[in-house]
Amino acid sequence: MNEAAEDAGIVVGDPVADARAKADSLQVRAADSAADDVALHRLALWATRYTPTASPWIEENGADGFFLDIEGAAHLFGGEESLLVDLAGRLDRFGLPARLAIADTPGMAWALSHFEAAAQSILPAGGEVAALSAMPIEALRLSGETRALLRRLGFKSVGALLDKPRAPFAARFTDELLRRLDQALGRRDEPLIPVTAPPVYHSLNYLLEPIVSQQAIFARACRLMQRLVHVLVRDEVGARALKLSLYGVNGAVETIDIGLTSPTRSVPHVARLIDLKLEALAAMHDGGFGFEAIGLAVTRAESMPGRQTELNVSAVHSPQDDAEHGAALIDALRQRLGPDRVRQFEAVARHIPECAETLTEINGETPQNWPLEEEQTRPLLLLPQAEPTEVTALVPEAPPRRFRWRGVTYDIAGAQGPERIADEWWRAPYPSRERAPTRDYYLVEDGEGHRFWLYREGLYGRETATPRWFVHGLFA
Amino acid sequence: MLVPPAFPPTASVQNRAAALAELRLLLSRHPGWPQTLQAKLPFGLAALDCHLPNDGLDRGALHEVVPATQAAFPAAFGFIVAVLARFSSNVPAAARNKQIIFVMPDHGSRQCGHLSGHGLNGFGFDPTRAILVETAHRHDSLWALLEALRSGAPQAVIGMIDKLDLKTSQKLHLAATDAGLPLLLLRPSQTLESSAASTRWRIGTAAAARDRFGSYTRLRWRLQLERCRNGRPGEWVVEYDHVAHRFSLVAALADQTLSRGAGDQPRRQANRS
Repeated sequence: MNEAAEDAGIVVGDPVADARAKADSLQVRAADSAADDVALHRLALWATRYTPTASPWIEENGADGFFLDIEGAAHLFGGEESLLVDLAGRLDRFGLPARLAIADTPGMAWALSHFEAAAQSILPAGGEVAALSAMPIEALRLSGETRALLRRLGFKSVGALLDKPRAPFAARFTDELLRRLDQALGRRDEPLIPVTAPPVYHSLNYLLEPIVSQQAIFARACRLMQRLVHVLVRDEVGARALKLSLYGVNGAVETIDIGLTSPTRSVPHVARLIDLKLEALAAMHDGGFGFEAIGLAVTRAESMPGRQTELNVSAVHSPQDDAEHGAALIDALRQRLGPDRVRQFEAVARHIPECAETLTEINGETPQNWPLEEEQTRPLLLLPQAEPTEVTALVPEAPPRRFRWRGVTYDIAGAQGPERIADEWWRAPYPSRERAPTRDYYLVEDGEGHRFWLYREGLYGRETATPRWFVHGLFA
Repeated sequence: MLVPPAFPPTASVQNRAAALAELRLLLSRHPGWPQTLQAKLPFGLAALDCHLPNDGLDRGALHEVVPATQAAFPAAFGFIVAVLARFSSNVPAAARNKQIIFVMPDHGSRQCGHLSGHGLNGFGFDPTRAILVETAHRHDSLWALLEALRSGAPQAVIGMIDKLDLKTSQKLHLAATDAGLPLLLLRPSQTLESSAASTRWRIGTAAAARDRFGSYTRLRWRLQLERCRNGRPGEWVVEYDHVAHRFSLVAALADQTLSRGAGDQPRRQANRS
């Protein structure tokens, strides 16, 4: 429904035939609530340029608006009225005429935006009771049955509810009526779910003219980081995760996430990481009409006590310097290649060779659980999956004499083993699970010195009649 | 005019060697002389070290390691890990916590398997110091190598690159020299073209040492120093002890220069690659 439709006299709830009769050039589209939700979500993300806590309305509030918590943010726009004018103007330019209201509680603001005559309204503090009394009971966001019941009892406006004693209401209706009343009047809290997690520290820059070029964005981002450093130093924390949000003129928001392995306050380090991602961003979109606001938020902060600087900066690097340089390098590698591409080894206390170690992402703490001396020889290279091979052996339990793998036949000159690795019986309640076959590992070497790690799967006679052979690793 | 110290006019071999050593000492004290030339990694084997300039591998240079055949790839990798393990044990204790960066392309691990932490531990190499960087494209690998070298943070950088033209290898070598860090590159076995590397090794397999019960004690490889800047090529079979981080010589294969006449000090041939 847009303004032209309203001018033609169409009301929400008219059947399509009637509506077509009232206006010839009517265009009908099926209501796609999922797409509407997505669009509302995007709009709420854009609205974070005003304040980090923008929360789109959930079902019970009607799915066509959002709340903005502007406590402490209104003065940045020169007052609440200018904020309303600014927001209304921008929404209008997107083609979304809106009704806006500012009040002390979300409930009041909802009621005003729906039932107040003016399209934009501000309620001064303390005027809730007067404003609410004049509104119909729909302003309280009650469920259909409560509303029907209230109408039957003769309550048409909220004012009639306000001056009655509360105990009979609590007895006849569910908690909802009193809860909504108290929320609207500010006696009870109404928690809002913000569209993105609110950041710990936040710095936003509104630009007079939209910027497009990468250098301009980079320069602004550095300045924002400078501003944040003061606050971080004051609180003795360092940033572990940052988010750079670029608000476009056309309502789209681009975000760049930056992760760090150890808390940092250094501007050049963060600037370098932003630069790496900006290149990738510039490559995939052409900037459109530009960005009119840039925000840098610290989404995760960790305590980072101040470091005493050395008086004489000699050529000797302290271990702290080395650790910082190392962390900076890992951050840069992760930023460009992705955090799952830079990993380190971690030992796992299991017998099965392919599970005895994992690769984990680097997050600052190094696990130190490697044995000083390996009890059994392990190959330097492990195949991701053991590959089957054809083996000839003298007797089924004997080490192999010749085997064929990946199309090449190897004659074995010597074998070492077997190392028996059985199934981990403690991993599942016995006897429900079937046991995996036992493996006998052999280190075999052929005449030229190529060394392989083979295993025979299944004990002959006890577990299987035809044991199978696999190549699991390559020795150096 | 600068007057060099007067040497006796006889051109006997001993005086020439002494003169060269003294010149080196003088030059090293010169303020403009790059300090990285002093840093070297000796193998601990006289037969091997005498072929290398400065009696050891340069710590700030690009070194290429090529397997002799495709099947010798694990041996080449093992040689690199052994050199690194030895390298890590030769540094002062304060620098022992520095990382060692492995830049591995995805297709390499699919073909030959991926590095195993327990395998590294078996070489005497601490797996907690290894950082594994997996890349999807060649330019990502090159970027990661250059980034690691330029940061100066790790102790050594290892990579695996298929195609390397002269210009890129020069860039890598320059970055390694500036940072003073060794860059060890694994190349495919068909590599023949020239590069700016300081040394190029071709590694082949050799039967391992066995004790009298038949179990394997030490790994062995056939090393061939194919190219060496300011050094001599050679071929050896060496054995690696992972406990002492030591290489020992099993056999020195035929050294061509010895056949020119016993007793003559073999001349150092500058190898222009």
